[in-house]
Amino acid sequence: MDTGGTVSAGESIVVDELGKTFKVPVREPGLRSAVTSLFNRKTKDVVAVDEVSFTINAGEIVGFLGPNGAGKTTTLKMLSGLLHPSGGRADVLGFTPFDRDKDFLRQITLVMGNRNQLQWDLPAVDSFEMSRAVYRIPRVDFVEQRDELIELLDLGELVSKPVRNLSLGERMKAEIANSLLHRPSVLFLDEPTLGLDVTMQRRIRSFLADYNKRHNATVLLTSHYMADVEALCRRVMVINNGSLVFDGDLEALSDKFADHKTLVVTLSEPVDLSDYGEVVDDSSPSRPTIRIGGDQAASVTSRLLAEQPVLDLTIEQPPIDDVIEQAFGVEVEAESEAPA
Amino acid sequence: MRLFLIFLRIGVMNEFQYRINLAVQLLQSLIAVGTGLVVLALIFQQTTTLSGWTQPELLVVMGVYTIVGGIVGFIIEPNMGQLMQDIRMGTFDYLLTKPADSQLLVSVRQFRLWALTDVVVGCIVGAWGLASMSATVRPVDAVGFVVFLGAGAVLIYCVWLLITTGAFWFVRMEMVQELFQGIYRAGQYPVSIYPTWLRTILTFVLPIGFAVTFPSEALTRRATVTWALVMIGFTVALFVATRLVWRIGTRRYSGASA
Repeated sequence: MDTGGTVSAGESIVVDELGKTFKVPVREPGLRSAVTSLFNRKTKDVVAVDEVSFTINAGEIVGFLGPNGAGKTTTLKMLSGLLHPSGGRADVLGFTPFDRDKDFLRQITLVMGNRNQLQWDLPAVDSFEMSRAVYRIPRVDFVEQRDELIELLDLGELVSKPVRNLSLGERMKAEIANSLLHRPSVLFLDEPTLGLDVTMQRRIRSFLADYNKRHNATVLLTSHYMADVEALCRRVMVINNGSLVFDGDLEALSDKFADHKTLVVTLSEPVDLSDYGEVVDDSSPSRPTIRIGGDQAASVTSRLLAEQPVLDLTIEQPPIDDVIEQAFGVEVEAESEAPA
Repeated sequence: MRLFLIFLRIGVMNEFQYRINLAVQLLQSLIAVGTGLVVLALIFQQTTTLSGWTQPELLVVMGVYTIVGGIVGFIIEPNMGQLMQDIRMGTFDYLLTKPADSQLLVSVRQFRLWALTDVVVGCIVGAWGLASMSATVRPVDAVGFVVFLGAGAVLIYCVWLLITTGAFWFVRMEMVQELFQGIYRAGQYPVSIYPTWLRTILTFVLPIGFAVTFPSEALTRRATVTWALVMIGFTVALFVATRLVWRIGTRRYSGASA
């Protein structure tokens, strides 16, 4: 279908003022209102995605960040054709996603870390075979691509075991292999490393980087793990309350907003550490958590060790959710309370 | 079609790993048929016909009922169960990102091979009934039987899919499914033994009458051309309607986490 050719050469995804509003039923608590709502259902509009615009070039890996409920998954679903936007437009590879044109679907893939699509009781190879039928992949290409994925993801014999016997990490690798058999050029990955251990996360990251290089694939990735984003994405977009609040280089984001570290200090006796940094958690007085500037880690640590009865001390990067909430939460909340 | 064959092959291969299920399923079919036979024997101690059906003819009905049950258990039930689970878990999202007809895809993903033992057992019971009948089966009866059986299976599939599609609108649909299974048991007897209102419901609303009684009627020379046309017309209409509802449902579907 001719979509007006808004995607020019090199551009893979073009999103223009894309929005999604859900109608959700509302009712007061209590039996009476439960009964009334059966007949007279009240709904309220919830804006999940609010006029978001961006362009992603072919071959780019973009990290899509934001707190839970910010609109990441909704955006991914609109881009993969699962949800009909309430407003604005999206173009992916020259197609309007919600038309679900078969030529479009053959070129994309969607992976959700919390949802399996492999057949639970079958070995993964059988599910691969099903994918081959669904995507009508020619036998030769299929075998080549399958074996390449099995090798790159280090799956080996695992693919011939029933999926239910695999560990979470092994299953995720098999899921990813299954989602890439048709060699898609646009990948929508929603928390692909969710719940995996560090080694497995790293493995999947390096695989994705490799796949992106080999096939010049465009990747839009959401993750709660800062390490995923740091390893893969030069560019990040941050969405909060449905609005895009940051779109730019990863360095710009972390320099600007993640410029602090968290110190968890275990003390032999309770001490007030507010001279060293901002105390963010003192619920257990002998094990307070303080926040310090990113470049102060060394100096504050040595001061603490010299001056206080420190038993143990850990330096943590703030979780991505905190960074985002801290960086954008206040500002955006204040905005949304302004008269609309 | 190719999709269907590949899925069938994988499903069947997989089922062979669970041979113990064959024994369980066989036992189940035998118990079900056994109980049915006892009930029939009890009825015919009191009377020689039931609403015009003789004992051998009712054996045929029971055979057809068991065959249809086997077909339902082989392909319809497992697929519909899987679909309902997918809708609830949100994994239905994946199906909509596939470059294949979503209705076809959800209808041919799962197979419970051993349910086919019901088909075998049903054939035996049916053949026994036919052999005890005085009349022989003409080729036209056999053709009518096969056509009605096929159409009946399609009807049950449509009704079941329509019910399952309800899960796009309402979350909990399992009860309705179970209700359907319960009502299907009414098909053990020809729908003509039931009062008119119930017969109408069983024929058109929950087309068990079409699926079980009609093929049996073909074998026992009760079928008429008019009813054959009604059945085929009804099947086509319901199939088209089901497809329409499926389209609307999938457009409306918004994913479990959205």
